[in-house]
Amino acid sequence: MRGRRLIGVAMLATLTIGVAACSSDDSSDEAADSTATTAPAGASGDGATIAVPADHATIQEAVNAAAPGDLILISPGVYNEAVDVETENLTIRGLDRNEVILDGQFELENGIRVLADGVAVENMTAQNYTTNGFFWTGITGYRGSYLTAYRNGDYGVYAFDSVKGQFDHSYGSGSPDAGFYIGECYPCDSVITDSISEYNGLGYSGTNSGGNLLIINSRFNNNRAGIVPNTGSYELCYPERETTIIGNTVFDNGQTDTPAIGAAIDAMGTGIIIPGGVNNLVERNLVYDHPISGIILVPYPETNASDLPPDESTWDTPCAETKDDPLTTEEIPETIYWQPIGNTIKDNVVSGSGLSDLAIGTVGADPSTLRNCFAGNTFETSAPADVEALAPCEGEPAAGNWVDKAVTDILSALLAGDKPPSVDYETASTPAPPKQDNMPDAATAPARPATDVPMAFDTDAIVVPTKP
Amino acid sequence: MRPGTAGPLEPEHPAVPAPPSPRVDRRPIGTRPKVAIVALAVLTIVALIGGVVLDTDAQAATRTPGLGPQGRQAQFRVECGLSHSATDDPIVHFGHEGASHLHDFFGNTTTDADSTLSSLLAGDTTCQQKLDTAAYWAPALFADGEKVDPNVSVAYYRPGLLVDPATVQPFPPGLVVVAGDSTATSPQPVAVAAWHCGSSPVLTAEPPDCPPTSMLAMRIAFPDCWDGANLDSDDHQAHMDYSRAGRCPSSHPEPVPQLVFDIHYPISGTGNTLYLASGSTLSAHADFMNAWDQDKLEQEVRVCLNAGRICGVVSGRATG
Repeated sequence: MRGRRLIGVAMLATLTIGVAACSSDDSSDEAADSTATTAPAGASGDGATIAVPADHATIQEAVNAAAPGDLILISPGVYNEAVDVETENLTIRGLDRNEVILDGQFELENGIRVLADGVAVENMTAQNYTTNGFFWTGITGYRGSYLTAYRNGDYGVYAFDSVKGQFDHSYGSGSPDAGFYIGECYPCDSVITDSISEYNGLGYSGTNSGGNLLIINSRFNNNRAGIVPNTGSYELCYPERETTIIGNTVFDNGQTDTPAIGAAIDAMGTGIIIPGGVNNLVERNLVYDHPISGIILVPYPETNASDLPPDESTWDTPCAETKDDPLTTEEIPETIYWQPIGNTIKDNVVSGSGLSDLAIGTVGADPSTLRNCFAGNTFETSAPADVEALAPCEGEPAAGNWVDKAVTDILSALLAGDKPPSVDYETASTPAPPKQDNMPDAATAPARPATDVPMAFDTDAIVVPTKP
Repeated sequence: MRPGTAGPLEPEHPAVPAPPSPRVDRRPIGTRPKVAIVALAVLTIVALIGGVVLDTDAQAATRTPGLGPQGRQAQFRVECGLSHSATDDPIVHFGHEGASHLHDFFGNTTTDADSTLSSLLAGDTTCQQKLDTAAYWAPALFADGEKVDPNVSVAYYRPGLLVDPATVQPFPPGLVVVAGDSTATSPQPVAVAAWHCGSSPVLTAEPPDCPPTSMLAMRIAFPDCWDGANLDSDDHQAHMDYSRAGRCPSSHPEPVPQLVFDIHYPISGTGNTLYLASGSTLSAHADFMNAWDQDKLEQEVRVCLNAGRICGVVSGRATG
């Protein structure tokens, strides 16, 4: 059972600066004793600085030698390592994002795998790992900033079963699953911002996540599909819910030559697609040039599901409280359809879709009963026609046909069996990442463990992006 | 995870006396005595598991505790492609090339009738985790008389159901483990040997008809308690046992990971005539020789299982 830190602890930690963190074993024990009831060690990040390779030849050795609160500064070089981090509240930083390169050489699993709370990883590249570039699992408090993840076998930048996190100014490409993934959390209390995801199977994927989960001010392009939060009972904490997607630039998703998991092939040709998600907000995004649809709500069909959809009255129950719930004892149909319910699509600017800019198509339910709404969008085509009249966010819905030819055309296109197959991630023609911005003052900025995440964002101030 | 909720140790072997546990000294794998399977002991163990501990209704589709959505139990997992197929078995027919029914080998690429810990450690692997050079194998599957090449295998390493994750120890180097009954002609307990579709938690003793989006898989769950002394035993089973209600029996006091081994086949639809190289599809079984990079195995057990973390999931979304 993983310990979940009390929310107040991280705040208290800032009051104990100067006491909590030291890099020598003796004094850190003392510090831990003196602050045992108030703060985790090193929460304020005022520990020692450890240089790689000057102090330790490898990142792993430096991490192993570090105490909570320490800063590990990595000099340019290629590091053929799979680093496990088991010490909390570390800051692990490259001095140059484009020149500090962790390379798995298609042999190692994860570039950096974080197994302790409060760890921030900054300003480096991870490429050619068989699973993930950067991976946090079972964590309270995580941050990845100015990271580049390129050509990794599952995910680029990845948080699972983790809460209170932030990915910012990061880049993911060349993964068959998602460039960025935040899954199995509610409330997630997490943010993806100022990031780029391209040439992946999925730009963003998040299965059964949500609750104060923001995807904002980021770019998703040239993936098979762009932003893809979804529900399924193959992992815990279903349904996906309450993800906020604002101010993103989403274009040209429908790339045919990327590595791709099955879901990416199923969803390809769409910008923002919500298979089976509920109560999400999709607002003020710029979405253009998708072969099938810009923004689309669909069911997630799950064959041989583990469980039936939970009652709506349980949707606000935290993930941590539902994990041990028994599975249904009722008969489960061979395929169940997780429906998209209660999603709000408004004030987006959508154009250039091959079939329909906006769409909702369902199987196994009457779409007019699912409480999704569309309003204030700039668009040319929709499936069904006049979707903003049929499904307004305010006022009375107009009468009309929810399942017209545009809807059946779009469902047929998604279900088509002749889509381009996956390409092996090792050999796919994923463009090498362009040089990415470095974090400011990497050599001199103080340590900043992930005890202050997510940062506050004023989403009201976000405007629809302009085309790059 | 439910550490601490395991009930008191159930009476051991109340209904069926356990087979005598041969005390075999720890020795290199390659020098084990070539003793044939003691069929009675195997049947007794299976009956014991089926009758006392696990689900007895093997023919019914069963939703097995501990399965279902991933994320419920700590785990790490390794995906390994098919390496090769051969009529070898370095556990049951050590040193006798061609003496076995046809096996599909996963993981270590050098596994043959003469494999030892040291030979395996020098071998390559088909696993995504390159430090997993263990050998995994299972009988080959045939459909309408044609051998079926599996798509992939997935080895899940988890604490046994209700076992305190913090107590789980890594497999010792060279440990040999077998699971399932290669001679079975009637349904085995599905919690040991079963078939299912894709990632479905519904297990059946015989292969179900599976849709193309969720194709056929065989699942073998290995025993998760070790006697603490022997890497192998005369019947290759007596040194291992299954936990009961989260506790290892005093004869096998050491909790080790429960290896749950899935083999995914490109088989779907109805009307397939299926059988295994060992017999009917009721004879599902699998074998494991631990030849991991031991440091890496210890690391994964510690940071994933002992700490109660999900170190990897196989998504329900099949890789295209």
